[in-house]
Amino acid sequence: MKIAKKIFETARSENRSFVLENEAKEIMRAYGIPVPPFDTATTADEAVEKSKEIGFPVVLKILSKDILHKSDAGGVKVNLRTEDEVREAFQTIMENARKYGEEHGIDVDLSRGVFVSKFADEGTEVIIGVTRDPQFGHAIMFGLGGIFVEVLKDVTFRLIPLTESDAREMIREIKAAKILDGIRGQPPRDTDALVKVILAVSKMVEENPEIRELDCNPTFVYEKGNGALVVDARILIDV
Amino acid sequence: MRSKQTIEVFARRMAVSQNTNDEIDIFFSAKSVAIYGASATPNSVGQAIVQNFIKPQFTGRVYAVNPKYSQVLGIPCYPSLQDIPDEIDMVVVAVPARITPRVFEDIAAKGVKAAIVISGGFSETGPRGAELEDQIVKIARENGIRVIGPNCVGVIDTTTHIDTFFLPEYRCSRPRASNVANISLVSQSGAFAAAIADWTAELGIGMSKIISLGNKCDVDDDDLLRYLAADDSTQVICFYTEGYDPGKGRSFFDTAKEVTPHKPVIVVKSGRGKRAKEAASSHTGSLAGSDQVAGAAYKQAGVIRADNFEHMFDMARALAMQPPARGDRVLMVTNGGGLGVMTTDALEAEGLAIPHPSPELTERLQERLPSYCAIGNPIDVVGDSDSSRYDIVFEEALKSGEYDIVVVGMLLQTPTLGMDITNVIANHQRQSGVPFVAVAMGGAFTSKAGEIMELMGVPTYATGEKAAVAAKALATYGEIKYRDKFRRTLFPDNP
Repeated sequence: MKIAKKIFETARSENRSFVLENEAKEIMRAYGIPVPPFDTATTADEAVEKSKEIGFPVVLKILSKDILHKSDAGGVKVNLRTEDEVREAFQTIMENARKYGEEHGIDVDLSRGVFVSKFADEGTEVIIGVTRDPQFGHAIMFGLGGIFVEVLKDVTFRLIPLTESDAREMIREIKAAKILDGIRGQPPRDTDALVKVILAVSKMVEENPEIRELDCNPTFVYEKGNGALVVDARILIDV
Repeated sequence: MRSKQTIEVFARRMAVSQNTNDEIDIFFSAKSVAIYGASATPNSVGQAIVQNFIKPQFTGRVYAVNPKYSQVLGIPCYPSLQDIPDEIDMVVVAVPARITPRVFEDIAAKGVKAAIVISGGFSETGPRGAELEDQIVKIARENGIRVIGPNCVGVIDTTTHIDTFFLPEYRCSRPRASNVANISLVSQSGAFAAAIADWTAELGIGMSKIISLGNKCDVDDDDLLRYLAADDSTQVICFYTEGYDPGKGRSFFDTAKEVTPHKPVIVVKSGRGKRAKEAASSHTGSLAGSDQVAGAAYKQAGVIRADNFEHMFDMARALAMQPPARGDRVLMVTNGGGLGVMTTDALEAEGLAIPHPSPELTERLQERLPSYCAIGNPIDVVGDSDSSRYDIVFEEALKSGEYDIVVVGMLLQTPTLGMDITNVIANHQRQSGVPFVAVAMGGAFTSKAGEIMELMGVPTYATGEKAAVAAKALATYGEIKYRDKFRRTLFPDNP
């Protein structure tokens, strides 16, 4: 897709090895990967206006070529429910980013403002990611989020491109797979939607081999029939 | 239009692989071989290799190359290849690394197209060695010479008796080809290749080819996978690998995907603990151990990964001699209760289904077997059984269609069970197409009987655990080969 190539070109021209959140989400949307409604804003007023268009509650995240790890820089504010909260969050994020720059001795570019997105309803947290192995090339990873990935490292891999049955096998073969079937009276999760996301990510990477690493973390998966949403997306590319 | 294009692409790829296979075939079919660095010194590498080629089994012509001698062990020795008044198909190089570039000039001038470089002292030792390796690769590429090695023991072919292993036969036995089915092994490690040659010879496992790849400067896993896939004398392809050069894991994966529906491929890969070298800036990158990615690639390509060599050959023997299973339902038949229970425990741990016979089948078996036989799974035909009770069980159970694999437990210490059981198994196997695995525990008599059963094509194991590994491999390969048509009845939580 042309949109991905264009975004990667822009990143490279700025000597960035990562794409900004809005860019990552645009690429994902172009590949049919479901993401919450989003926009960008460069002033507090604009952030309020965009939040109203998207609908509360919203999330604000710093958009800067100088900040890869947004939370570490105090650049993320979630579950903002009113105009005032959005206005305040905007100011805080900008202030934090400036401070982060001073502490790290970098002149942080704030001209792009913030990423405004719908605050997604909580679902079962999963991670879908891509890595490039020196021997085997691109591989896609799937696992449940939170402690399952952090502590138990309960993840599984396949080389890209993969088939639909590979994707289904991945979802079945993690140790905690039963959680997706619905435990303790919960209804089963929408694994068909997950299969679609995995296959779309595979296609995206196949068509854009300059992608070095990628995380859709977290991705929320909802009850069967209610789909899935990639809430946070990170794409790293070759410079 | 599109399909025409696809066919053309396919045809071109087949042509390329046919060319490669012809090039690789020289290493196993060479009719005239020159040994560079042949030596008159006893117990030297250069002499051990010559000794292999003067055995009567090798029917080709052999020449020695070494300016120091006019003959080595009675075969003519020349200062260079160009002095040999005959065409040469393959050169075995066993000279110090530093003079190999000169040797390759000679190989090129003689027009030889295949060389096995036994010598070490190349890229495995550091940058200077790597430079030498680059030099010989350059000469080889420019002159269309295919190279196995360096830093390897080369190849053994049990049919043509090409044998470049420099391990004297009294220390390292050579395996033989079986009339039933044969395994080929490709090993990155020369020491393992030698140990496996010796070990499979001792166990009487039918082998076709053993290839040690060493530094893989030219011929690699992928070339041999293609070659062995088309080799009629190889029924199962085994690999021992420590890792792949950049991108080579992917080409092996691509080839394996094409091969595994037609021929089983088993891999033992070491280096499980190592992490990817590339620095990771993402969550996924930090979680992706290179070995985990390799494991995923094998699974996706239908390559069976074994934990160790023992498992590899337990699996390979069964896959070589028996058809893949069409489902996961195993029947255990035994003349000893303990053996039956132990084996079914092991089968269960492997994730295989062990269903009880249906009421109808139970009734038929009760009608035909003595009342003191225990009918369940396992079916215990009891210690005074001869082969006829096994015959009854096989006949009824296979007719019922309730089982996809039969594991036969035999305590041959009993006076009643004779070797005619082998024919009973072979007959039912052939008629039903259902794979059989035998387990016979015991000492000298049992081991000998097991060897005889293997000669008849019945894979026979010394413990229930080993038989279970074999049965699992037959089911795993069935799933690889038959895909959605494989009848899976058991869906473990963590397959």
